[in-house]
Amino acid sequence: MNTISEAPAAVAIHEGPRDMTIKSLAIENPRWCPGCGDFGILMALKQFMVDKQLNPADTVHVSGIGCSGRTPNYIRSYGIHGIHGRAIPLATGLILTRPDLNIFIESGDGDSLSIGGNHLLHGINKNVNCVYLLFNNELYALTKSQSSPTTRKGHKTNTQPTGTYLDPINPLRFALGAGASFIANTADWMSDHLAATLQLAAAHPGFSFVHIFQRCPHFDPNAFQHKKADWMTFLTHENGVTPEKRLAEKAGVREHDHRDLNAAFDAAEHFKSWFGIIYQNPDKPRYDEILRAGRDSTPPKPRSALLDKYLI
Amino acid sequence: MHQPLEKQTVTPVVENRRVMRFELLMDAGFGAQKAGEILIRAFAAAGVYVYSEPVIPAEISPPRRTPAALSGAIIRVADFKIGNIGNHTDLILAAHEILLETRLDDGETGPGCRILLDVGLCKSNAESYQRVIDQVNERGYDLVEFEIDETSAMLIKSLNSGTNLYYLGILTCVYNLKCELVEPEIRKVFCKLPGDKLSKNITLFYNGYDYADTHIDYRTGIAMAHSREDQILIDGNSALSAGIVDAGITFMSGYPITPASTVMHTLAQDFAAYGGIVHQAEDEIAAIGAVIGAYYGGTPSITCTSGPGLSLKQEFIGYAAMAEIPLIVIDAQRSGPSTGMPTKTAQSDLPAVVFGRHGDNTTIVLSVADVDDCFYAPHVARYLTEKLKIPVIIMTDFQIASSFEVVHKMAVAEMEAADNIPDHVLQRFHIERLPETIEMVKDNQAIPGAPDGMRRVSGLNTDASGEIAYSPASAQRSHEIRNRKLHAVRYALQEPEIFGPPDADLLVVGWGSARDVIHEAVSVAQSRKLSAAGLHLKIVYPLPLMLADIFARHKKVVTVELAYGDALKPAPLASLLRMETAMDITSAICPATGRPLTPRSVLMKIQEYLCEHDL
Repeated sequence: MNTISEAPAAVAIHEGPRDMTIKSLAIENPRWCPGCGDFGILMALKQFMVDKQLNPADTVHVSGIGCSGRTPNYIRSYGIHGIHGRAIPLATGLILTRPDLNIFIESGDGDSLSIGGNHLLHGINKNVNCVYLLFNNELYALTKSQSSPTTRKGHKTNTQPTGTYLDPINPLRFALGAGASFIANTADWMSDHLAATLQLAAAHPGFSFVHIFQRCPHFDPNAFQHKKADWMTFLTHENGVTPEKRLAEKAGVREHDHRDLNAAFDAAEHFKSWFGIIYQNPDKPRYDEILRAGRDSTPPKPRSALLDKYLI
Repeated sequence: MHQPLEKQTVTPVVENRRVMRFELLMDAGFGAQKAGEILIRAFAAAGVYVYSEPVIPAEISPPRRTPAALSGAIIRVADFKIGNIGNHTDLILAAHEILLETRLDDGETGPGCRILLDVGLCKSNAESYQRVIDQVNERGYDLVEFEIDETSAMLIKSLNSGTNLYYLGILTCVYNLKCELVEPEIRKVFCKLPGDKLSKNITLFYNGYDYADTHIDYRTGIAMAHSREDQILIDGNSALSAGIVDAGITFMSGYPITPASTVMHTLAQDFAAYGGIVHQAEDEIAAIGAVIGAYYGGTPSITCTSGPGLSLKQEFIGYAAMAEIPLIVIDAQRSGPSTGMPTKTAQSDLPAVVFGRHGDNTTIVLSVADVDDCFYAPHVARYLTEKLKIPVIIMTDFQIASSFEVVHKMAVAEMEAADNIPDHVLQRFHIERLPETIEMVKDNQAIPGAPDGMRRVSGLNTDASGEIAYSPASAQRSHEIRNRKLHAVRYALQEPEIFGPPDADLLVVGWGSARDVIHEAVSVAQSRKLSAAGLHLKIVYPLPLMLADIFARHKKVVTVELAYGDALKPAPLASLLRMETAMDITSAICPATGRPLTPRSVLMKIQEYLCEHDL
């Protein structure tokens, strides 16, 4: 068994041998429904890994439970398909002890904002170095259509059959409120935008929160007008993400400075339709770095004298 | 590698050896525990064996002069090695009558108990004092009333503290301890106090001593019984913390909970110097999740909790077994269920750790009997969990966690890898080395970074390749392999520790902190020619295969355990043993009082059983 690796990561990306292809990352056929938005996210994730030639042997995908939770099983790298809502704790243990690894977390809206809400709050606050992908299909799908914290008000589900009672939680406002150092908004049907967003998220040192709208054609086919663009606005900036080509013409475009916290709070109010980098603060301290620095700056003691301080 | 220690032999506890127990009782927040700690250290320095138990309310500063404020130290001293808090108290020093009355009600004072009662508050509480003094007299106890002298009272008022040091002085005088031994311990314990405050506290200590010297004529004490060489004074949780370091564990994550927190406190101070990281997680579930994540990454890791936290961790414990990720959890038991009594001891979590998860359970449960076990349990846990990829739970309890003991300094192992575990450590837990290769559900057990081993783990059932599988055959196969891992432990388990004749009529069985109590009771029983033996289990699950054969040598087998049981419901250990051996095992002592077991109660039960059951 290894002990804790020595050097803290200087950068967020660890590149490997440049022989990776989309095909070489494939394992078994994903068991998602036909037309599921998760296919789009998986493809963009693989595209990003190939673009960066991210060494899969140094990469761990960590997930919770739900359709999103299956993602690690479909990428030829290391992976932990954990328990419901608890991907962040599993990932935190790895991030603190193995700074040499690239850590991605795949989590759904129920996983992130309901059963795992506490961990998301603290993952964001601790700003541990990882890329967090929130797959938001606005309901519980794997358990067959129940209301989730992001289900739109009035939408009928098996648990709230007369229509979902409450307004959805705004995930971007939640992340901003918790002090996230990186927040982006994208969608499964914009693979280039999604892959480019992942590039920036992975380059960001800290907890990179990527909110991804995801289609669920089986239980909620009308949630997103993904074939149209007139309802969408792309946020642009010289250090931001280019609008998705296919949709750019008909969508609105808006210059947005993602270093501006107030502008970010304004943009977050439009979480249903504004896409791009919402906020970034590369200077937020990282809990993982603080803990490792504390350890590394402590003068070592020999274990042979471990009990001497208890001598009578 | 160190020389294997000789198998522990039973030291006979002769009834006429010197042993006594006393209590210092004060309102919470006034430093009774600190004074107690200084006394323990001074006794240890004087070559006396000590065992101590803190009395702590679950609140920080409950209202003064109420039973809820009861705080203090129970200290047992002897001229032989002791590992339990004993039967009864021989002397109480109480700051006021309410605390005294509360402890008298607990019924732990012995015949001829001496009471030193501070009557400084008597004038304003005359009636209440009289009521308690009457009780003392009714019991025929020897009462000494005293009052803090005027100069000292002024000094205490100006310092707003220091009563504890005055009492410390009194006890130092009564127990014939040398001030030269006590003063350095005061300086050690109060090393963070500013110089003038410290010197005033020391003045109060000497004032207390002088007061007792002239006003109190009772003196007692215990002669030096051990040299100071290589002797350490350590509490259970400190020993566990040191053991974690020595076992080569370098990641600890936890969430504050009594009585487990002090492991995290100690490591927060010490761990970094040994390359370790302490992570205070956002909740109990996050704490165990981080340990599993870190262990998946190849870092030996541990989490520490108590009852309510254990309940929260159960899903992840089951997950680690399924995903075949090593996991070590410490459970410092306290009185339950639910929040229960956080600062009172119990052994009632046994069913929760053995059976507490959904689906088929595969966990290994170790228990600790003393501070030596606390030190070595992490080694054994690491060895077993890394070899088997099955969660290992180390069971301690409030009593062991917070009690101080004088022991010979343990031999460090400086473990690097799991296979490095010294033989004497395995012997201590009565287990042999496991076979070289153990079959896993998943063939690939690589650690991230290994280019050829890329693998995904899941809580879903998988086949040998690690891919998700729902077939009947694959589910059956996974269960069989996980259970074969447990069976490997069953086969490796040796005969547990047995005290007394192997064919005694009565066998008294216990686990964890019950060891020394059973040992002491059985030793006395033997000296009284009673046909009783004792058996102590350190690994409580799985159980050794020869257990039924051992039990069959005795006419009657009973358990003593600190967990509820009655005529219709055997206590947890008795239930487990009945299940495992299909024998009629009953729980002889199974209190849910939150107070430790006593050798006397075990001895009386032995007598009762031998008599009543005509054995």
